[in-house]
Amino acid sequence: MTTSMMPTTAGRPSADEDRRLAGACAAGETRVFEELYGRFGERMKSIAWNTLGNASDAEDAVQETFLKIHRAASTFTGEASFSTWAFRILVNTCYDLLRKRKRRIDESPIDDVVEGPSHTAPSVDEAKRMTLRKLLHELPEQRRAVFTLFEIEGLSHAEIAEILGITEGNSKWILFATKKDLREKWMSVGGARLRVT
Amino acid sequence: MTITCEHLDNLLLDATPESMEMAARHAADCASCAEILATWNDLSETAVSMRTAWPSELLWPRIERALRAERKPALPRWLWQVAAALVLTAGLGATMFYAVREQTRDAAFDRTILRLAALDEVERAERAHVDAIENLEQLAEARLDAAETPLMISYKEKLLLLDDAIAECRASVEGNQQNAHLRKQLLAMYTDKQQTLQDVLREETNVPNP
Repeated sequence: MTTSMMPTTAGRPSADEDRRLAGACAAGETRVFEELYGRFGERMKSIAWNTLGNASDAEDAVQETFLKIHRAASTFTGEASFSTWAFRILVNTCYDLLRKRKRRIDESPIDDVVEGPSHTAPSVDEAKRMTLRKLLHELPEQRRAVFTLFEIEGLSHAEIAEILGITEGNSKWILFATKKDLREKWMSVGGARLRVT
Repeated sequence: MTITCEHLDNLLLDATPESMEMAARHAADCASCAEILATWNDLSETAVSMRTAWPSELLWPRIERALRAERKPALPRWLWQVAAALVLTAGLGATMFYAVREQTRDAAFDRTILRLAALDEVERAERAHVDAIENLEQLAEARLDAAETPLMISYKEKLLLLDDAIAECRASVEGNQQNAHLRKQLLAMYTDKQQTLQDVLREETNVPNP
């Protein structure tokens, strides 16, 4: 089951509302940015953390994303929703940072993360998360992005397609291929041992 | 429709609640598919647990500050151009000021040098006059002491007047050595005295003036 980052179709902001939002961001209205941060900040931090591997880089990426939103808001066309447009900026910013810093997620031990990042499912132990994180890090960027956005962050394939600039069908296929690949590796590192029974 | 192992991949690709339920029903009777499905779901469950949150009280203030810094009003292009022109003009003006000031300083220095050189020349000329005059005085002294004719007496009186004037002028020059007017006056007096003494000597010998 996925939890969309956006309201259902019935409650989805209209194109006019998105344009108003973009105009306010271009004008630098702090109130609007604060509202965006309140609505999407935690999700942005989580995506950035799972991409970059540590809280410090994740916060840098989120800050940089907001600056880029401000700079680029005047170019928002309304083709995608404002929220997916913003998340696209975040994902690209994370990968820019990743390439720039060439930091491996497995070099950032779990303890390096801000103390007590809360994980929503305390029943799954830390070893499994570490294993999966390492496996994800070995994936190509697009596969990792699709898996992260769908499986970790709970976005829909429609939203992922808008963010990554791919088709919805492509997003589904990439996820399937990625999970199949991960499953084989998961099994090879002792999947039976790791699997919750 | 009977679900077989060959359908599993398609069901997992579709990943709708309905397709996953069909896959689960098949896995209940198929150990290998059951393991595949279990791992598949385990991956998803682990991934969900990786959704991360942590307190970042300082993040929003950082973002806000960065946005404010971005929003510093940019000056319109024409204003930048005007500012650049003003800076250029000020720079040129300052350069010219310093250049003129340097030229003035140089000119003043040069004038001082010239003045000193001229002064040396004047003083040499004066000494030459004084030496010539002393020489002529020695030669004309006897005649002047025995002046009997009206001409000789007038020469003697003129020479006395010139001596007083020269003394007075030299005293003034002592206090203002670079006063060209005084120097010229002094030289004129020396010249006059020299000429007068020469006249005295000629009178004595009756040599006509050149």
